[in-house]
Amino acid sequence: MARMKFLCDAERCIECNGCVTACKNTNDVPWGVNRRRVVTVNDGVIGAEKSISVACMHCSDAPCMAVCPVDCFYRTEEGVVLHDKDLCIGCGYCFYACPFGAPQFPQAGAFGLRGKMDKCTFCAGGPEKDNSEAEFKKYGENRLAMGKLPACAEMCSTKALLGGDGDVISEIYRQRVLKRGRASDALWGWSTAYGAPPKQGATK
Amino acid sequence: MRKLADFFGVLAAAVMLAAAAPALSQQPPPTGPAAQAEREMVQPGNNAPVWRDVRSGAPGYTTVQGIETGVLVQSRGQTWREARVPIAFWGGLLVAVALAGLAVFYAIRGSMGDVEKPGARMIRRFSPADRYAHWLLAISWTVLAVTGLIISFGKDLLLPVIGYTLFSWLAILSKGLHNFVGPILIIAVPWMFFQYVRDNGISAADFKWFGNIFGYFRGKETPSKRFNAGEKLVFWVVLTILTTILVITGLVLNFPNYGQGRSAMQNASMIHMVAAYIAMALAAVHIYLGTLGVRGAYRAMRFGEVSEHWAEHHHKLWYDEVKAGKARQKFADEVEKPATGEARTQTS
Repeated sequence: MARMKFLCDAERCIECNGCVTACKNTNDVPWGVNRRRVVTVNDGVIGAEKSISVACMHCSDAPCMAVCPVDCFYRTEEGVVLHDKDLCIGCGYCFYACPFGAPQFPQAGAFGLRGKMDKCTFCAGGPEKDNSEAEFKKYGENRLAMGKLPACAEMCSTKALLGGDGDVISEIYRQRVLKRGRASDALWGWSTAYGAPPKQGATK
Repeated sequence: MRKLADFFGVLAAAVMLAAAAPALSQQPPPTGPAAQAEREMVQPGNNAPVWRDVRSGAPGYTTVQGIETGVLVQSRGQTWREARVPIAFWGGLLVAVALAGLAVFYAIRGSMGDVEKPGARMIRRFSPADRYAHWLLAISWTVLAVTGLIISFGKDLLLPVIGYTLFSWLAILSKGLHNFVGPILIIAVPWMFFQYVRDNGISAADFKWFGNIFGYFRGKETPSKRFNAGEKLVFWVVLTILTTILVITGLVLNFPNYGQGRSAMQNASMIHMVAAYIAMALAAVHIYLGTLGVRGAYRAMRFGEVSEHWAEHHHKLWYDEVKAGKARQKFADEVEKPATGEARTQTS
């Protein structure tokens, strides 16, 4: 059985926020919630800037699941961490526990009162019938049930964000790292955009 | 023996590591943009400085608006997750032991104090303001304690019995009540404090009273003024210290839209839990003694009046003051208007 994971290649991410937009559009995400976001470290520093797209990491030992007072989380056979919005009470415990800031709460009333928690579903919907109207309203599209991968990863223009079976995507990433080797200027700068300078010849 | 040897082995290793630490830490691992830019040149593909920055929780840049959206990894949630397990276990045990202890005590000892005879001369122990302040606090506090316990222990104790749907409904109700009743304490706690602080001064006599705590539970009380040392303990520890802490930490948790970050909420949550369990265990004793435990105590707070006999038995020094006319509290027949119309048991 596949074990679904996200992997973001920091060498490839160009901070286009295509994944963020794809997610919001595909899943009709509630106002004020971003299931995915792109964070840039060392922004504007040449040679040091790296961008990483982050969402729910679908942890094997998920802190949200451990601390939920109504036990509304469950893990699918494919390792996707989902939750039941009908049971969720909006207490915020998952938000305290999660290191990635994945669980978010649409404001449900005055004084910042928390509504039902919303987070990335790995485009796998919720406990309702696959791709039913109720499921879409609460969780968004169930692309896994359609045989597709998460919209963010499929939409990624540089294929920096990989989503899918952990074994498969880590193998893809491993191949990339091997190919890159230690080539200094193949990673960023002129040659990334326009190819290696003609006479020097690119090192492997 | 084997375990002891292991222990000393670990200890020796730890001492050696500690001694070696300054030497190891002379070159801290490089972090920051300059280190990464350098690393990119000398060791391309090795982004260790960036990942160290990510791991430190320092915020990066993001277009997504919100609190801490630039933080990729916030580690303190793990501390919170781990801390709440022992806090809930020992705190829950403390409350359970307090409740069980009171149940056993009640089974053995029953209600303390003499059965009141009708027609006794009454003393106006609590003014209407005293009582309103107390009941505003007491009712809010009890609702908060019960809903807090449901949220904390319902998953383990109620959910397996009543099922997911019903428990979720109960938990939503509990969360709503907890969040909306909580802010009432912003008014109730200071009101209660200023209403009662005059008679809650601590003196050496209070320590004497605590020295005779077992005598108290056997019905041989050390004479006290208007409030005995146990009541003063509830006033200072439960109300003034713990409930104030609970109100402050509760407000941090209750209003997530004032820009406080996760670590503030995680810290507030841990303090809230510790304070709540201690306060609940102490308050359980106070509530027991005020209702089932001592005859006439509930009537005092409900209707404001106690009999002469009750006052002499439970608060001898205060009774002497009332008799001498030195106390602020008077005999009911010396006061013109009744405290509350329906409350006058001796006139009916």
